Amino acid sequence: MDPEREDLPWQRKPDADADRPVAAAWASRTDPDYDPAAVTQDDDAPAPYAPPPQRTGLVPGWLATLLVAIAAIAGATFAATSTHDFARHLDGQVHGVTCSVLPGGEPSLGSTGCKAAMLSPYSSIWRDKIWGGVPVALGGFAVFAFLAAIALYLTWLPDRSKRESGWLLLATLLPVGTSGVFAWISANEVGTFCTVCVGIYGASAAAFLFALVALVRAPAGSGSLPWGRWAIWTLEGVLFVGALGWAWMQWAPSERASLKGCGTLVAEDAAGVLLQLPREPNAASALMVLDPLCPACKAFETRLGQTGLDRHLGRDVLLFPLDSRCNWMVKNSLHPGACAVSEAMLCAPAAATTVLDWAFREQARLLELGKQDEGLLRKEIAERFPAVAKCLGGAGVKAKVNKALRFAVANALPVMTPQLYVGGTRLCDEDTDLGLEFALRRLISEANR
Amino acid sequence: MNGVVHGLLISAGLMAPLFLVQGWLGEARVSLESATPNKPAAAVATVAEEGYCTPALKQIVRRVAGACGLIQQEGRGCQPADAAKVVALSDEDFNALFLPLASRVHIIEYDANSVTLDDAAKDAVGRAWADRRGASFFFVVARASPDGKADVNQKLSEGRAKAVLEHLKGTFADPDIEKQVGLLWLGEEFAQLPETFCSWQRSRAGLACDAKTINRSAFIAWIDCAI
Repeated sequence: MDPEREDLPWQRKPDADADRPVAAAWASRTDPDYDPAAVTQDDDAPAPYAPPPQRTGLVPGWLATLLVAIAAIAGATFAATSTHDFARHLDGQVHGVTCSVLPGGEPSLGSTGCKAAMLSPYSSIWRDKIWGGVPVALGGFAVFAFLAAIALYLTWLPDRSKRESGWLLLATLLPVGTSGVFAWISANEVGTFCTVCVGIYGASAAAFLFALVALVRAPAGSGSLPWGRWAIWTLEGVLFVGALGWAWMQWAPSERASLKGCGTLVAEDAAGVLLQLPREPNAASALMVLDPLCPACKAFETRLGQTGLDRHLGRDVLLFPLDSRCNWMVKNSLHPGACAVSEAMLCAPAAATTVLDWAFREQARLLELGKQDEGLLRKEIAERFPAVAKCLGGAGVKAKVNKALRFAVANALPVMTPQLYVGGTRLCDEDTDLGLEFALRRLISEANR
Repeated sequence: MNGVVHGLLISAGLMAPLFLVQGWLGEARVSLESATPNKPAAAVATVAEEGYCTPALKQIVRRVAGACGLIQQEGRGCQPADAAKVVALSDEDFNALFLPLASRVHIIEYDANSVTLDDAAKDAVGRAWADRRGASFFFVVARASPDGKADVNQKLSEGRAKAVLEHLKGTFADPDIEKQVGLLWLGEEFAQLPETFCSWQRSRAGLACDAKTINRSAFIAWIDCAI
């Protein structure tokens, strides 16, 4: 046993010998046959070993280590909540997402930071290998579960020293570092914070701070460095992450009926109303049904770009403005002004991508303008894109928009945007978020056969 | 002892998440298998079917369209005798057919003894054509005022209807025009418009309108019915 041991409360006897010399008190704790009466003080005899005085402070080392375990359990609970929400979405249906810093909060439907984070491409890895990929939260779950187990063990360990506490501190750097990276991604890429993730960040920071306190409070170790023990613990941590990742890959439902697509195109573009987007050679033929003022289309376009799969698609665009000014299939304009922007794109097909980029970039403002006064929106379009000024609002381009809508009728397309058809097969709606990479790769592969 | 405690804690720490993950993924699998694949999430795109498309109206439109060759895509013109045969309605009832279309109809006005579209008329035809929305058929119902001989008026109304079609073909170069436009020339002997139609959208809005001038016209409209 390490002579510099720090006794835990449950490892101490009642302090009946508190008034006795330190050596005697120490001997009475360690030797059951110790008889204090038989002990004589001999100045010449070598004094028995006396441990250094107990460190005192608000948080003893064992308590700090226990607090690391508690923080890790809290982190594991948050990560488990997030992993559970992710797992529920693997059926491709609509579910609520838990968004509470209090563990056990009820899932809620609608747009929340947690939903945005979960649907973002940063929420999981290997999305092209299995449907949805392996959630990052699962890694957090594994790391926190391991940290909780090892911190509980170290709390119990009688001869815990700076060597063990130091390793624990290093281990807590992993969730702290990862939390830092994901907090940055949330702020700069996703644009919103997920409150459950904030719970994970907090638990990571708490675990790190308590591990730091535990290190400070722990006695120094002696003897050679325990490389073997450190290696085993590190391997155990890797085992936790690896085992949970392997289990996910094995048990997650990846194959599904939706991968065969949700409908096909039947009619060709005889009227020539489809717009061609720039494409690379050998790209799979695809049709994108979109509304330039539809936020979901903008988000889908961004998602598609993030996957990098847009480069494998030779896309034509069918404009399907969900604006009752030109689209009789919608009774109330979902995206007022979309007819005007669609006309602009059809007026100058060569500049259609420029107009679309502008419409996506200024979407919220253009929607508001379209709602307030479509005339002003048309005026702004004409001023910004002089090439379309003469054609915009004319009978010819209105007829073109109408023909585009009739292409949708001829193909009995669902009245919604966005839609993506690859090789004539429609990507199912349930495959447009978590399963996008996996499902789209399948469709592209089928189309290229 | 340390090893046993360590082993127990590590095993428990690993097994608990594994157990939970297996349960969650099992639930997802069951939910996925019970979900209906390919369930349509939204309405399907269709042509327009407005509220005024009553079964009776659709039957009349279908008869007229069929007689005018639209449905079979064989011809286009429908003469008054044919129209009277297939519609079998009084003048009032025939005009009533178009009453619900008040907001869709443009009345293209002509000079006396003329089949020429003036600029305002061309503009009105273009606007009417562009305002197709979900309609399937574009009707051109041309008339002549009762001045002069009946056979001359018959020719005049035919020329007025065809002038609209020629303008559409020349302006829009749309191969589908032949399949979508139905011409009906009524001459002077059938379904004359009463003066009340002067308040409708006319190409000569603001100019004088009476029972004679309103019938030197072509009555054009898209019909928003799925026939």
